[in-house]
Amino acid sequence: MDDHTGSPELFMFLASTVHDMKNSISVLGGTLENLLDQARPEQQADPAYPQMAHMLYQTRRLSDNLMQLLALYKEVGKPTYPFEPNTVPVRDLVQQVVSQVRILLESKQITLEVEAPPELLWTFDEDLVIGVLAHAVNNAVRYTRDRIRLDIAERDGMLELSVADNGMGFPPSMLEAGTLVGQGVNFLTNSSGLGLFFASEVARMHKRRQVGGTIRLENGGPLGGGRFVLTLP
Amino acid sequence: MTTTYITASGAPTAEIADVDWGEKRYLIVDDFVGIRQLLRESLRNIGARHIDQASSGGEAMTLLLRTHYDVVLCDFNLGEGKNGQQVLEEARVRNLMIPSSVWLMVSAEKSVESVMGAAEHQPDAYIIKPITEGVLLTRLNRVWHKKQVFREIDAAYIEKDYLRAAKLCDAQVARHKVHEIDLMRMKATLLLKAGEPDKARTVYERLLEEREYNWARTGLGKIRLANGDHEAARQMFQGVIGENRYYIDAYDQLASALGLLGRHEDACEVLAKAAKLSPNSVQRQRSLGNTALRIGNIPQAEHAFRKCIAIGEYSINRSVDAYLGMARVCGQKGDIKEALRLLATAQRDFPGELVALRSKITEGLVYHESGDFRRARKSGDELEAMLEKERKRPQTATCIEMAILLFAVGVKDAPVELLCHVIRNNHDNPVLLDEVQKIFDKARMGEEGIALIAEARREAAEMMNKGVLLWKTGKLVEAVEWMREARERLPDNMRILFNSAQMLINHMQLHGYDEALMIEANGVLMHVDELAAGQQRFAQLVEQLQMLIPGRIQSDEEGEGAGATAAPAEEAGEPAA
Repeated sequence: MDDHTGSPELFMFLASTVHDMKNSISVLGGTLENLLDQARPEQQADPAYPQMAHMLYQTRRLSDNLMQLLALYKEVGKPTYPFEPNTVPVRDLVQQVVSQVRILLESKQITLEVEAPPELLWTFDEDLVIGVLAHAVNNAVRYTRDRIRLDIAERDGMLELSVADNGMGFPPSMLEAGTLVGQGVNFLTNSSGLGLFFASEVARMHKRRQVGGTIRLENGGPLGGGRFVLTLP
Repeated sequence: MTTTYITASGAPTAEIADVDWGEKRYLIVDDFVGIRQLLRESLRNIGARHIDQASSGGEAMTLLLRTHYDVVLCDFNLGEGKNGQQVLEEARVRNLMIPSSVWLMVSAEKSVESVMGAAEHQPDAYIIKPITEGVLLTRLNRVWHKKQVFREIDAAYIEKDYLRAAKLCDAQVARHKVHEIDLMRMKATLLLKAGEPDKARTVYERLLEEREYNWARTGLGKIRLANGDHEAARQMFQGVIGENRYYIDAYDQLASALGLLGRHEDACEVLAKAAKLSPNSVQRQRSLGNTALRIGNIPQAEHAFRKCIAIGEYSINRSVDAYLGMARVCGQKGDIKEALRLLATAQRDFPGELVALRSKITEGLVYHESGDFRRARKSGDELEAMLEKERKRPQTATCIEMAILLFAVGVKDAPVELLCHVIRNNHDNPVLLDEVQKIFDKARMGEEGIALIAEARREAAEMMNKGVLLWKTGKLVEAVEWMREARERLPDNMRILFNSAQMLINHMQLHGYDEALMIEANGVLMHVDELAAGQQRFAQLVEQLQMLIPGRIQSDEEGEGAGATAAPAEEAGEPAA
């Protein structure tokens, strides 16, 4: 076994700093959510309201990026993450993803459509998959006009989870990044790359009878815009 | 069937369902005031009215002592003092939680502890920040449901009726597909505890056909290890770590495999790595300290024992072993004064005869290893005097440790008595007989040793055979009485204990339930379990015993072994000299 964890003191210091940062961002995001959620209709007309919604969006991006960075780079260049699959009803998955994005979408006046078989059971690492889907929705907020759609369905013995929007679609650079990451190329030239790379790592960790999970990006999905697809065995 | 939701909020929300979460009592434990406020807000949004808060592990303990909470939301990382896991352990060990209460461990990121699978006390679920109401409610509902599904299984588990608990797992799988994996994992654990490794292996293998579960692969390795296939087990644990370097349980198991292979240096290295990944386990630091001491790596041993003592300060798992180990370290470094101070602390903080005895052994070792043979001999004489005063003997490992020391410092009678005691209580364990013979050889008592061992074995075999003969000739009452005497004389002899329990059960099967006999048989079996857990005969006897309790609902399927009257095992012929 090789070992590159560095000195335990440095590790402890980093861990406690991270703990602190996570707390601060959680409080920031939570407080913004509460403020947005409790805003009365006349307050929603105030120009400060969309600005606050945008703050929430940015906080979420910050939080996701920090979490993904940490998950992937506890050891430099070596993706590692505790992995623990369990059986989850699709209903539970949907509820939890929706609860993470609800206020952001409401405050941005974006409609979320969900199509999923609630009774279906699947085995996966719940925290990781919620993280990937919530991040995909956050990402779609940037591209969509006013609609986002979460589709979950069983297809050919695999679970297909997709997040689509009705925007202009992904720019060519993103599509290319998606293809490369999907092929297992470590594509990390910008921050969108980090989210994609994290998602592909999560997909790869899921294995069933030697078959692994995959991700892909495409344009012209069900709403005519971009579409992120996570397939789990 | 597919359901489509189209709303502005896109909201399928978790049903508050069958549970009234509003009426429950909640405790939030977090050192960060902002997080406490957010969590309180979330709880209020799901209807909660009774919410207490604590900002540290100590404060949480005070509140837990005062109130039985239904739900505890506790951050893993609580700054100075106890961490979340230690609060959980203490709350469980001190019985501050009722069985139905839910413990949710909150952490900033998915922690090693959340998947290590080694801690004895696991929370009901882990939740990662940021926590939203939807996630909270979904997890609460699921945990609540799971607790219902496991209620009867847990009850049977607590009674150590592992076979019945395993059957209950099967019954629940049919009804609750969503908990199938957890139920099968539990079933495999139960089968292992019931001494049915082959059946447990089948369960693990079936699960692994579908997906690679670290705990199932590690479980297979444990079975290999128990079967004596140490090298195959080592490779399996190594494989699990290769797949997921955060699965701590595999490190601990790998270290035991390496130890059994005689590769103590490698075992030490693996434990050191595990301790780095998950440093807050008293047990792991203790194993690391002992392994390091064994290979003479004094700095490593010192580091581990110091850490062990430091964690112990906040932990219910605080262990006297760390103090004794640290005393040995000090002795090897020539700091006798510090060693003696540690031994005094050990005896002050951990009262009891056994600790006094073990401290005295350690004191002798410390003197002996530092070359002060005069004082070492004095410790030996004092130990001998202590043994004369107390008739009860500690467990086998301590007896052997004591005998080695006593021989080393020049005492003769006491170690012979101790070793004969060990043989009488383990008369059919060839590995141990070998070990004892080697100790005699080293003390230049090889010839006498052979004779002493033969005599002790003969004595044990005769006691047992007489009991079996009485039982076979239908003198059940006399047999039960004889086995009581045999237990007095040979309190830790597994076969005597098993046969004694078997006869008590048999007595009740023939003459009806008797509470006194029930308590006696249960006591004997629990003592066996303490001596060596995971034996097949233990599980079978517990199941038979439980079925004798009036009013106990019998399971539909008749289990093999259950209900059938197994004969007490007879000694095969005369024991070899």
